[in-house]
Amino acid sequence: MKNDNINHAAAAAAFLQDREQARWHDSAIWWVRQKRDMQAKQLPEWEQLRALAQQIKAHTLSRLDDYLQQFQANAEKNGVTVHWAADADEHNRIVHGILAAEGVKKLVKSKSMLTEECGLNPYLEQHGIEVIDTDLGERIVQLRQEPPSHIVMPAIHLKKEQISELFHRELGTEAGNNDPTYLTHAARANLREHFLTADAGLTGVNFAIAETGGVVVCTNEGNADLGTALPPIHIASMGLEKIIPRLEHLGVFTRLLARSAIGSPITTYTSHFHRARPGGQMHIVIVDNGRSDILGNDDFYQSLRCIRCGACMNTCPVYRRSTGHSYSYIIPGPIGSTLGPSRDIKKHGSMAFACTTCGSCSNVCPVKINLHEQLVLQRKRAFDAGTLKPAKKMGLLAMRFLTQHPSLMDAGGKVMRKVVPIVPDSLTRHSAWSRPGRALPEMPEQSFKEMWQARQEKKS
Amino acid sequence: MSSREQILARLRQNRPQGPALPDIDAVPFITFDDKFDAFRTLVRNLGGDAVQLADGDSVLGVVQQRWPQHGRLVDLTVENHEESPSPHAWHDVDVAIVPGELAVAESAAVWVSHADNQWRSIYFLTQKLVLVVPRDAIVDTMRDAYRRIAIREQGFGGFISGSSRTADIEQSLVMGAHGAMAALVVFV
Repeated sequence: MKNDNINHAAAAAAFLQDREQARWHDSAIWWVRQKRDMQAKQLPEWEQLRALAQQIKAHTLSRLDDYLQQFQANAEKNGVTVHWAADADEHNRIVHGILAAEGVKKLVKSKSMLTEECGLNPYLEQHGIEVIDTDLGERIVQLRQEPPSHIVMPAIHLKKEQISELFHRELGTEAGNNDPTYLTHAARANLREHFLTADAGLTGVNFAIAETGGVVVCTNEGNADLGTALPPIHIASMGLEKIIPRLEHLGVFTRLLARSAIGSPITTYTSHFHRARPGGQMHIVIVDNGRSDILGNDDFYQSLRCIRCGACMNTCPVYRRSTGHSYSYIIPGPIGSTLGPSRDIKKHGSMAFACTTCGSCSNVCPVKINLHEQLVLQRKRAFDAGTLKPAKKMGLLAMRFLTQHPSLMDAGGKVMRKVVPIVPDSLTRHSAWSRPGRALPEMPEQSFKEMWQARQEKKS
Repeated sequence: MSSREQILARLRQNRPQGPALPDIDAVPFITFDDKFDAFRTLVRNLGGDAVQLADGDSVLGVVQQRWPQHGRLVDLTVENHEESPSPHAWHDVDVAIVPGELAVAESAAVWVSHADNQWRSIYFLTQKLVLVVPRDAIVDTMRDAYRRIAIREQGFGGFISGSSRTADIEQSLVMGAHGAMAALVVFV
C-alpha cells in the first residue's frame, strides 16, 4: 500500500538526488517508448487502429450496464460464478470468502493493479493466507515490501545489484551474482514450487468479453497461465471498465496493447479463460470502487477507456524523471494523475501538477484519452479543494491577478527584462536557476506583445 | 439493494453519450507477401523458431535433431496420446509437442485450444514447446485470427508467441521466465 501523504514534487526531488540512477531510469524507460514507436511505424493503419479502439471503448462506456449484464449471463452459462463488489473492502471480503470456504492456505497471484488498488495482499495476509506474487517484477517489489513503481514494469526503479542482494537474502542466490539471466532463472525455480503447491490462483483481467462471458489475460512470463492451470480455484478480479462487446474486438485491442506497452507485437501469452479447469471452480469479481462515479463526470469519464498499457508513463518527461514512487496514487504517470485525483482530490492533488502539459501522453495513448487536458482540469479541482502548498497557491493567485490586469503585466515584464540581467550571481546561486543544466534565458529587448505590434505597423 | 443492483443503477444513471460500434473491417490492415517468412523472422526475435517440414521428414525427427539429449517427451498430436492423472503430473515434461490451430504472421502467435487435451498446464510447464500448425493455416493479422478461432479446450484457448520471457530486471531480456524456455513452430 502506498503512503497517501506523498507530495510529488518533494518525492521527485528526493529521487533526483542520485543523479546516476535517475539518468538510468529516464533512459531505460525512454527506450521502451522508442520500441513502441518502432512497432507503431511498422503498421500503416496505426492511427486508424487507435481510432477503432477509442470508438469501441467509447461505445461500451455508453452502455456499460447492458454489457456487464450480458457478460454475467454468458459467464454463468459457462459455469463461472460472478460476484459484484461496490468497493475495495467488499472485493477483499469476497476473495477471502471464496478462499476461506475451500480452506486455501496459499494463493499465487499474477499481476493485477486492481488488487493493488484494493490492498488485497495485506488483507489476505492478516487472515492467515500466504500470498505469492508471481510476476517477476511484482515478486521483487513484494519481497522488498514496497509498491510497484510502474504498472507494466513494477521493478523498473531498481538496479540489478539491488535485486541480486534481495535474492541472495530471500532466495539464497550467490552473493554478488548480478546476472539478470541467473537471477531470473533462480526466481523461476523458486516460483515453480509455489505454483505446484498453491491452492488457488488469482489473476487480473485485461479484457472481459460480453459476447462470450470469458476473460483475457496477457502476460509475457506465463505466470497467469501456471497460476490458473494448476490450482483448482481461479479468481479473476476486474475493474468494471474492462468489458468489450465482442470477441472480434480483440482483433483490435491485442494489436495495440503490447505494441503500446513494451514495443512487442504481442505478449507471449494471450489467454482466454471461459471455464474452470476440470474439477475446479472459476470466479470473476467485478469491481466498481469509484468507477461508476467517474463515469458520471463529463470531464473525466474518458479515463475509463484505459487499457493499462503504460505508454503514457513511458513517454512522460515528468514520470521518467521522478519514478512511480513519487506519485501518491497506486497508478502513477499521466493516467494515474487523472484517476487518483478523480478518486480523492485531497489525497492526490499534487499529482495533477506532475505534468508539463506537453501532450505526449495523449498522442501515444492507444485509446486516445485526452490525458493532458484532464490533468489541467484536475489542477483546477486541486486548487479549489485547497490542496496546494501556500507558496504555489500565492504564485498562482498572483499570476491570475497579473493576467487579469494587462497594463500591470506589461509593466511587470518591462521591469523583469531590465532587472534580471543585472541581478548579481550571489542572489541566484541557491535558486533553481543555478542548477546544472539550467540557465536563466537571455532577456529580449522587447516583449512579444511589442514585437507583434511593431510587426503589424510595418505591414500596414 | 445488492451491490450489483446499486452499481448497475449508477452506471445506467451516469451513462455518457457514445458512438455506435465501428465496423472493424472497414479499415485495411497490413498484409504480408510471404506470411511464413514474416512469422519466422519475428518468432526468432521472441525466443522461438519456425520451420516448414520437408517431404519425408517427421515432426519427431525435427525435434530429435534439434534436441538430441532431451528428457521426457509428450506428443499430444498423435491419436490416443498420453494422458496425465493431474495437471501437476506434467511438471517434469521436457518437450511437449502440441497441435496449434492457426498462426498469425504479424505477431508470430499460434492459437492453441485443443479439444481432447484434459490439462492445459502442459503448455506452460514444459521446458520446450513444439507447436504443430497446418501449413495453410496462417493469417496476416490478429483480426483475421479472431475470425477463425474457436474456444474448445475446457473453455480455454490461448495465443502463444515465442518463449516465455521477462525484462523485469533492468530491462534485460531473459528467455524462460515461468513458461517454456524455447518454442518451435513446425508447419506441416
